[in-house]
Amino acid sequence: MSGRILVVEDDERIRSSMRLALEGEGYEVKDAASGEEGLDLFAEAPTDVALIDLMLPGMDGFECCRALRRNSAVPIIIVTARADTHDVVAGLEAGADDYVTKPFVAKELAARIRALLRRARPAEEEPGALTFGDLQLLPEQGVLRHLNGEEVHCTRTEFRLLCELAASPNKVLSREQLLDRVWGYDYFGDGRLVDVHIRRLRTKVEADPAVPQHILTVRGMGYKLVP
Amino acid sequence: MKLGIGARITAVFGLGALVLSIFMGGLSYFTTRHFLLAGRESAAQHQAFANAVLVRSNLLGGDTGYVTLLASIDAGDAGTDAHSVLYHGGKSYVSSLGVNASSIPVRLRREVLAGTAATQTYRTAQGTAEIVVGVPVPSVQAAYFEVFNLSDLDHTLRILGLTLFVAGIFTTLLGVGLGRFASERSLRPLADVSRAAGAIASGELDTRLDPDAADPDLLGLTNSFNAMVDQLQERIEREARFNSDVSHELRSPLTTLAATLEVLEAERDQLAPRSQRALLLLGADLRRFQRLVSDLLEMSRVDAGSLDVFLEEVNVSELVQRSVEAGARSLDVSGPTPAVLVEDAVRDWHVGVDKRRFERVMANLMENAAHYGGGVTEITVRPGGQEEEVEVTVDDAGPGIQSGERTKVFERFYRGSAAGRRGAGTGSGLGLALVAEHMRVMHGGVHVESSPPGGARFVLSLPVLNGHEAEGDV
Repeated sequence: MSGRILVVEDDERIRSSMRLALEGEGYEVKDAASGEEGLDLFAEAPTDVALIDLMLPGMDGFECCRALRRNSAVPIIIVTARADTHDVVAGLEAGADDYVTKPFVAKELAARIRALLRRARPAEEEPGALTFGDLQLLPEQGVLRHLNGEEVHCTRTEFRLLCELAASPNKVLSREQLLDRVWGYDYFGDGRLVDVHIRRLRTKVEADPAVPQHILTVRGMGYKLVP
Repeated sequence: MKLGIGARITAVFGLGALVLSIFMGGLSYFTTRHFLLAGRESAAQHQAFANAVLVRSNLLGGDTGYVTLLASIDAGDAGTDAHSVLYHGGKSYVSSLGVNASSIPVRLRREVLAGTAATQTYRTAQGTAEIVVGVPVPSVQAAYFEVFNLSDLDHTLRILGLTLFVAGIFTTLLGVGLGRFASERSLRPLADVSRAAGAIASGELDTRLDPDAADPDLLGLTNSFNAMVDQLQERIEREARFNSDVSHELRSPLTTLAATLEVLEAERDQLAPRSQRALLLLGADLRRFQRLVSDLLEMSRVDAGSLDVFLEEVNVSELVQRSVEAGARSLDVSGPTPAVLVEDAVRDWHVGVDKRRFERVMANLMENAAHYGGGVTEITVRPGGQEEEVEVTVDDAGPGIQSGERTKVFERFYRGSAAGRRGAGTGSGLGLALVAEHMRVMHGGVHVESSPPGGARFVLSLPVLNGHEAEGDV
């Protein structure tokens, strides 16, 4: 599998080693030493994935995520020193799709990238068009729009999460199932990924995100979509 | 029992008040008594001498109507409770049934009969105080005695004594109250200091004593306390900064090493056999080093109190099964994945855990069993000893852990009797300490006991969730 990856990392040695490892996995790598440089590179030629270290001099990783997210739905993976902090949630809320912790294994990173780049699941399992509230989901065209035709912008991962929920309306999907299908994680995937993405989705599809009508939480079990 | 400073101040005040009131009370009692008694004595003497003159003139006149005489004297002394005794011609005459000759103390009687006037205060066998005044009347060879009853004086003094006693008790209690008040007042700044120290100990490093509100006498204490906390805070923050710097500094080269190692490993086939062996060694030790660094950092976060825990509700049997599978995969030591026995009672039980933390716990226990216990023999999930608790036991085939070492094995870098059996590639020395910390933050616990065949049995306990009380969104 190939694709272009933007790596934003201030440590020159890590940058070089990541380039070596990712190129070894078959990716084309563009690297930047700062958030500003990364944004410029991306504006010149968008990549398929962005890998952003949270600890950057000048513009930090969170800000870099937000800036990238303003104009693009590109999958973003943040690199953090620790998994058990609020940095992860803050990064996800800034628009990241997934995270890895240092020191990471290149194979694992490659697997994460593959999962994010994966097309939505095979066509026969894909849900047909689904209408809920005043929204219309067209999985095959990759479009979510209001009934009046106005498109709702969401990231690739948000869209895939919505498609998974829409594939079986009214049926509860556990976090583990969603982590597996959307992110390709096993049992030990981080449930916060699902929680934060659900929150982000709600701000886009719910009239009042605090009182959701369509994407519902089923305590102790998971989430379900109610058309 | 050692008394506290407050109790001691109170006791000193109470004792002081007690001594003072005994002294003042005693002084006023005895002074009053002395003056009252002296007054009564001189009044008695005057009266007795006047009556003796009357007796003399009557006897000189040859009147021997003693009884009439004495009765008239008593009647003349109306207002005082006095009785007369008259010795004349070897006989004694009394004025009433209230006295008789034996009422007069022997020594006084002898003195008076010998010709000296005398006065004596005494207490009768019945307990009444009396003054007797004896006046010799030599001109008629007689002696006149008058006995004054002092029970009214006694009564007065008793009331005075009682009043002083009550006042003494009152003063003492007042002293105790004052002592308590004073001790509380003077200990209040110390209580403030203690409260502030407690707040600091529990992590509120911004706590300070207010120098403006402080007692001027204790300003020195307040200032040095605040200075101490400033230093402490600075030191703790410096340490936390140092830890995070170290963490970052160690992670960066490790990240580079891990990534480049993978590049080399991917091309291992193209290397010479010697280089391949070197690469193998490098890879094994790099992973061990990574593990050590991550354990150390984990522990330093435990110490800094900066662990964030995200608990989610999961089925306990699935959790254990998955963790054991993952643990077996990550172990260097190869072998079959140990079987997990789940008792039927707990099959549908749920617990609130951080899954990845629990996975680390199981991996550490399995690694420990592999290194010291000849591998895991049995893993069971069963109801715990306490209600609403589930237990996960991990047995190994080793020689077990002696009862004296069963808490020590959870200490950091503990090298017990097992030290001699340490082989190559063993853990960081923090594995079991981290198990204990992980279980603690997940509201559970861990202890070690002996398995039936004599090996070690590590027992994890976790609270069971009833219904849907898990934290988090789901």
